Amino acid sequence: MRWFQNISNWLRSLFRRNTVEQELGSELGFHIERQIEENLAAGMTEKEARLAAMREFGGVEQVKEECRDTRRVSLIDTLLQDLRYGARMLRKNPGFTVVAVLTLALGIGANTAIFSMVNALLLHPYDFNNLDSLVRVWETRGMDEGYDARWTAPADAADFLSGTDIFQNLTTYRDQSFNLAIEDGVEPVLGCRVSASFFDVLGRGPALGRGFAQKEEQPGFEQVVILGHGLWQRRFGGNPALLGKTIKLNGRGYTVVGIMPEKFSYPVPSELWVPLALSSAEKADRKQLTTMALARLKPRASADQANAALASYANRLEQKYPKTNTGRSATVLPLRKELYLYTLPLFLLLQVAAVFVLLLACANLANLMFTRMIGRQKEIAMRTTLGASPRRLAQLFVSETLLLSFLAGIAAVSVSFWSVRLLRTSISVEWTKWVPGWDGIRVNTAVMALTILLAVAVGFLFGFASVLHSGKANLGKTLKESAAGSLTRSRARLRSALVVAQVVFALVLLVCAGLTMQGFVRLAAVYESFQPDSVLKAELNLPENSYSDTTKITAFYQQLLHSAAAMPGVKAAALATNLPASNVDNDVTLFKIEGRPPAKPNETASADLLSASPDYFSALRIPLMAGRLFTESDNKAVERVAVISRSMADRFWPGGGAVGKRIKLGARDSNEPWLKIVGVVGDIRQNWWNPSARPAIYTAFLQSPRHAMTIVLRVDANPAGYAAPLRDAVRQMDPGLAPTGINTLKTEVVDSIGIIRILGILMAVFGLVALILSSVGVYGVLSESVAQRTRELGIRLALGAHPQDLMKLVMGHALKLTGIGLVIAVPISFAVSCVMANVIFGVVTADLAVVAGFTLVLIVVVLVAAYFPARRALRIDPMIALRYE
Amino acid sequence: MTKPTDLVQGTLDLLILKTIALEPMHGWAIAQRIRRVSNNVLQVNQGALYPALHRLEQQAWIQSKWGESENNRRAKYYSLTKAGQKYLKAEESNWERLSSAIGLVLKTV
Repeated sequence: MRWFQNISNWLRSLFRRNTVEQELGSELGFHIERQIEENLAAGMTEKEARLAAMREFGGVEQVKEECRDTRRVSLIDTLLQDLRYGARMLRKNPGFTVVAVLTLALGIGANTAIFSMVNALLLHPYDFNNLDSLVRVWETRGMDEGYDARWTAPADAADFLSGTDIFQNLTTYRDQSFNLAIEDGVEPVLGCRVSASFFDVLGRGPALGRGFAQKEEQPGFEQVVILGHGLWQRRFGGNPALLGKTIKLNGRGYTVVGIMPEKFSYPVPSELWVPLALSSAEKADRKQLTTMALARLKPRASADQANAALASYANRLEQKYPKTNTGRSATVLPLRKELYLYTLPLFLLLQVAAVFVLLLACANLANLMFTRMIGRQKEIAMRTTLGASPRRLAQLFVSETLLLSFLAGIAAVSVSFWSVRLLRTSISVEWTKWVPGWDGIRVNTAVMALTILLAVAVGFLFGFASVLHSGKANLGKTLKESAAGSLTRSRARLRSALVVAQVVFALVLLVCAGLTMQGFVRLAAVYESFQPDSVLKAELNLPENSYSDTTKITAFYQQLLHSAAAMPGVKAAALATNLPASNVDNDVTLFKIEGRPPAKPNETASADLLSASPDYFSALRIPLMAGRLFTESDNKAVERVAVISRSMADRFWPGGGAVGKRIKLGARDSNEPWLKIVGVVGDIRQNWWNPSARPAIYTAFLQSPRHAMTIVLRVDANPAGYAAPLRDAVRQMDPGLAPTGINTLKTEVVDSIGIIRILGILMAVFGLVALILSSVGVYGVLSESVAQRTRELGIRLALGAHPQDLMKLVMGHALKLTGIGLVIAVPISFAVSCVMANVIFGVVTADLAVVAGFTLVLIVVVLVAAYFPARRALRIDPMIALRYE
Repeated sequence: MTKPTDLVQGTLDLLILKTIALEPMHGWAIAQRIRRVSNNVLQVNQGALYPALHRLEQQAWIQSKWGESENNRRAKYYSLTKAGQKYLKAEESNWERLSSAIGLVLKTV
């Protein structure tokens, strides 16, 4: 029964607090009264008796406090009390509260906003089972540099699964665009041809219906389709009766056998899947890399092990099939990593910057708290005198700061909700639909947990910092002092150190922000050289079944170009396989130069490969450097020609004279025809992540037509107005076709560097916050110091110092702190900018001018912030100052 | 100011329990009783007495009741609980063992 008594005592102390308090008071009161009686009986006077009794008892309040402590509830009880007290304190100092909460909210909010991005894009891009065991597999053709398209030869892919012991399963696929027949024409839909094991490998099956059967991988049986949830809802009203019905894709009927669950999309942004039916000749092919491969690793196998296994297996294939596989190796990359080869550094940069903002906010808050603690010295002394133990005081401070950080956490969450929504919608869906996980950017439980964690951590940190700072208050001294308290030397040094730290953080952040903005402006300028304002672009993909040979393709596109060129106001109509800023890498090709054997066997040069019609270069204002451009007569009937980029000419013909030389595309043994170089054009920067000087080979469209081409129209004005006429022109020629991605090139360019713009804006916001926080920090410390030194400054004045000297003294203090900060920050900033230039290659370049510029900005801001406290020093009246304390 | 003779840590509890084992008592009387019985050797510091009483009550070794004091005032009377009686016995025998052990050491060495 003891435990029962125990708990009931405990509950009584907790919930009948007033009664318990009263009883405690009367119990101790009775003791003293009884003692007084005793003393009276011993012959003392009334007054003596009372005094003696009180003296013997000691501090009544201290005893009470100790009694309360013995009851276990004191922790909860006093916590509530402290929170109430803390709330009162915060209400009474609205200035401090607002500044502290805002500072913290900015610091925490920046982190939650960025973390919500990192969480969605990096940690949860796909909703697949055991995402970390999914890897992309591809073969590389021994290129000397650049970007491979990540393809495999079908026969090699099959061998990778059967010949190695590392994959649980491996599936191949090939993305494709389809024209879905709708009531009035067609809707272009991005889809994917997949082998039957595709959904098994991903671990996600259809929500309705079934997956693909093995036999549907054979040509002739492949006319079945699985639809994505979004397309099903959008086009078919989410009707389950669609299963078993036939829909028309590229003019052929496909039976709907399944509907995928919501949010499933792979490879993004696919909306339908049909079987990848390869003929037996295609299946046995090792020469051409025609499929993409995705594999699931065996349990406990790592990507590194897979890479090693695959590399040695590729060696065996090389020996076994020297004709096709020489110089070819194979590699795997975790699916999660594959997506973010280019953007990962951006997000890491943002996350690091956000952490810096939080650190800055913490430094600022620490300064604020310390200022406040100085003002509270007397209160602390009073509390100690009245019986508060150091533990009890610590509890009080921690409760107060926790309350503060709780408020900041709430503010931060609302800031994040708002900023995350802004972030998610600030880039066009045309770009974001290619980004797995983008729609998942939201403030979810993980983000909330981080916010709470940060808030609580910061609360505790500052609570304990205040405790340490208050230290052991010297009771007598503090109480006797008439002034608000004094700043000891070590504390002043601590605060100065915080200001120095703020200067360091601020400069580093500002430099990062500046470099990113500079990179963005430079990129925008690069794309501005195409004069994209008056260009319209549209993509078209001719279905292979109805456009089976190159004559049909060229005939169609030629006719389209003619009718487009005939529209009023169109200055040029042209075709190309890929436009700059499309956010798609160019195809890459191997090539060899006539009469120039490779320096090493197996070493073959590579370059970007594009196909373009004659007017393409003039339409995009790409300058001709030497030779000539394509003409209408560069067709199948005459010698094959090529135009190369300037960097290719410089690299392979450094002395000039590229025009007239011949090259051959493909591997060493390729039987492609020789191409004669007829012209050299200016370099273009394909995408923001590509360095600008990539060698590029353009082939003439009429000699190398492709099914999928991008049409560009340069017009006099209002390019968007040509979208409808272009769509009509296409429909008139083939009702089963519809162009996609119709957009002005300007919009395209803006979207394609949208991520850099957002990065720049976020960094700029961070930089600005850093600047504000550090100026507030400098202002606070100097104000404090002037207030502390009023007496000293007064004496200086009285002894004949000129007010200007005092101003110099204060400003000098500010400059000294800033100077120390800058000495540390400048090298760090430069190092950071070098790192940034490395990880965000081609966008950011390390620039000393930016470092110098922001150093100057920082100095000016600090001087302005220091000016106000300094002016106060000027106004000191020596008489008042001397009486000040 | 002279310090009252410090009680060995933990012995205050024992003294309190033993004192109120005879009859319910209020705090002041407990202090007086201990002082008187020990011939003024053991001076119970009030600052220690009340926290000790509250702690013992919290642990349910003792219980309290408000009653009329000898001078007709309301006072808080403490008495042993059942668990407290057992606890006192155990503590008493502990003490006996300890003090006779110390006595042995002091005599023989």
